[in-house]
Amino acid sequence: MIARRSAWALGLVAWLLALGGCGAGHERGPVTLVFKYARILGNADPLPELLRAFEAAHPRVRVKGEALPWASDDQHQFYVINLEGRSPGFDVMMLDCIWVPEFARAGWLLDLTSQLGPDELAPYFPSAVASATYDGRVWALPWNFNVGLLYYRTDLLAKYGLRPPETYEEMVEQIRRIRAGERDPALDGYVWQGKQYEGLVVNVLEAFWANDTTLMAENESVFPEPARAADALKFLRGLITTGVSPAWTTAADEELSRRAFGDGHAIFLRNWPYAMDLFEAPGSAVRGKVAFAPLPGRVRGAPGVGSTGGAHLGVSARSRYPELALALARHLTSERAQRAIALGAALSPTRQALYRDRDLVRERPAMPRLQALALAGRPRPVTPYYLLLSATVQPEFSAALVGVKSPERAIADAGARLAYFLQAVR
Amino acid sequence: MTGREAAAQRRALVCVAPTVVALGALTVYPGIWVLWLSLQRRIPIFDVSRFAGFENYAFLAIDPRFWSAARTTAVFTLGSVALEVVLGVAVALAIHAQARGRKVALSLLLLAWAMPAVVGAKLFEWLYHPSAGLINVALGRHAINWLGDPGVALPAVILADVWRTMPFVAILCYARLLAIPADVYEAAQVDGAGRLATLTRITLPLLGRILLLAVLFRTLDALRAFDIMFVLTGGGPAGTTETLTVYAYRALFQTLQLGFGSAVSVVVFALVMAVAWAYLRLLRTNTVAA
Repeated sequence: MIARRSAWALGLVAWLLALGGCGAGHERGPVTLVFKYARILGNADPLPELLRAFEAAHPRVRVKGEALPWASDDQHQFYVINLEGRSPGFDVMMLDCIWVPEFARAGWLLDLTSQLGPDELAPYFPSAVASATYDGRVWALPWNFNVGLLYYRTDLLAKYGLRPPETYEEMVEQIRRIRAGERDPALDGYVWQGKQYEGLVVNVLEAFWANDTTLMAENESVFPEPARAADALKFLRGLITTGVSPAWTTAADEELSRRAFGDGHAIFLRNWPYAMDLFEAPGSAVRGKVAFAPLPGRVRGAPGVGSTGGAHLGVSARSRYPELALALARHLTSERAQRAIALGAALSPTRQALYRDRDLVRERPAMPRLQALALAGRPRPVTPYYLLLSATVQPEFSAALVGVKSPERAIADAGARLAYFLQAVR
Repeated sequence: MTGREAAAQRRALVCVAPTVVALGALTVYPGIWVLWLSLQRRIPIFDVSRFAGFENYAFLAIDPRFWSAARTTAVFTLGSVALEVVLGVAVALAIHAQARGRKVALSLLLLAWAMPAVVGAKLFEWLYHPSAGLINVALGRHAINWLGDPGVALPAVILADVWRTMPFVAILCYARLLAIPADVYEAAQVDGAGRLATLTRITLPLLGRILLLAVLFRTLDALRAFDIMFVLTGGGPAGTTETLTVYAYRALFQTLQLGFGSAVSVVVFALVMAVAWAYLRLLRTNTVAA
């Protein structure tokens, strides 16, 4: 009996100690900042070193880098569950740019507007800043950048005396000529992303823009010009039915299409900048035979516009150390840090000056060209409802691509569904 | 009731209480909460929260994406369970008839069954690769657009699921086969029964109950299948591989419509319960008959 009572007392004391420890922990002693990010692929992950550098500059601060799940959907789910559950578990968050307005509207992000210097955002790509801005306020710092590009085989185009196509019509004609000359049944024309997922929405958006329309207008109405949108879908479907693009385009994501092109089985590819490093890697079948150009347009003189993407760094509204967290975000998005990341990993910077940086250009000669295309890029609709928008249109766009629905019908159905869901949240 | 009986009953209540409390906290309470959510328009991050009655269900009734998901779920369940049973029984019989290498065969079967669904799905993603996948390389010029053709994607997903879960049926059947006494077969032989008669008159009837059980488990699993299509196709192309659980996931976790997503979940729950109830009845009458 006595033994049991003393065990109880011991437990109580331990519990009280633990409780006291929680309460007092952040008042004294070193501060710990938690940084949530997805592992960066590449020859060397530069992040641990960057985090150590921040600690060296702030002696009383420790930074804990915590990995996010690999897939973007899982990352989003992780954030939503933790932030909705009011967990104060992290200070700085890596965010896919399409989530920023949603998280801002939910009150999960610290409004950075008043903290930023007057010209602090000027060095960034305007499109990156646009996707970090919602309701006239800035909610995150752009960290790495993506833009849709048209990759082409320089050796094949040169062999037939061709220049990179300005219009889709021209591209189709070039594909016909090259394939007629090569007589290689394994050589596909134009590969892109047509699987039912976020990448499909990106590809269709680029087709919409080339056709002078969009998915969501400034006034937040969806499919402002349904006929033009349907026409763009019909055009994409036509690429597949006429054999310009292979039948498996309807199952292709970035990697599937990147590999086909990287193995030398395609003439043109739509993809993000990361692919260039892989094409130029030792042992690549297309090393030294690849360049990129703007996406084709539908009419001459109006080159296509690539969709932009990438990651931002935001500060959690529940952070206990907002100033330090912002300092960490600033440190990681600084020119020095972005240079290290661009050198160590296949990610492109959001700061324009780095595209003319001597060290970087020596390592990645295509950087200056990339800057011009990135500058022309356009963000996906910047709206808190983006995921609802995307998840709703994906099966409809896919249905039009595989031919089970007419493009007009797909656009009408997607529009009707969106109207129903959006009236509930607005 | 004597004092002793009352005491026994009290003890029984005490013994059963932890189970009741645990089930109540982990199953009944969340279940009722989901039911309650499904009657609301609730999108917490946009501060939308109001009672909506049966609005969500009314929308589901006319929602083509919901009906397509329901149809996909039904086809997937029927197709995969039927194939699993036929192949599972065949494999069990084959292993049973095999004189050597039974252990190897069984371990190989278990390997497929023990593999996490996501890993199995990734494996098939490579097998179905349009140009470099083993299947299309073997088919050569007649390559098939496995995951991008609306007519082929669902069968392809079913096939991947069958590969992974057929061993469950096979191993259950094999265990039952081992328990059939040899003299039953000897008696049949003496009576002059051929191999076909032995199979249809003795082996299959004796497998009946265990098969019913296997089908019950597999049907409930198949009705809730999620990982295999989520990894392989994400529900595409054209939503042809989107099951009810994938639809519920998209509504709940991707677009955060807790009310609407809960309504879809409630339908899945009702479906699973109805099927489980039907099977259990069948199992009970079967027991009485046996």
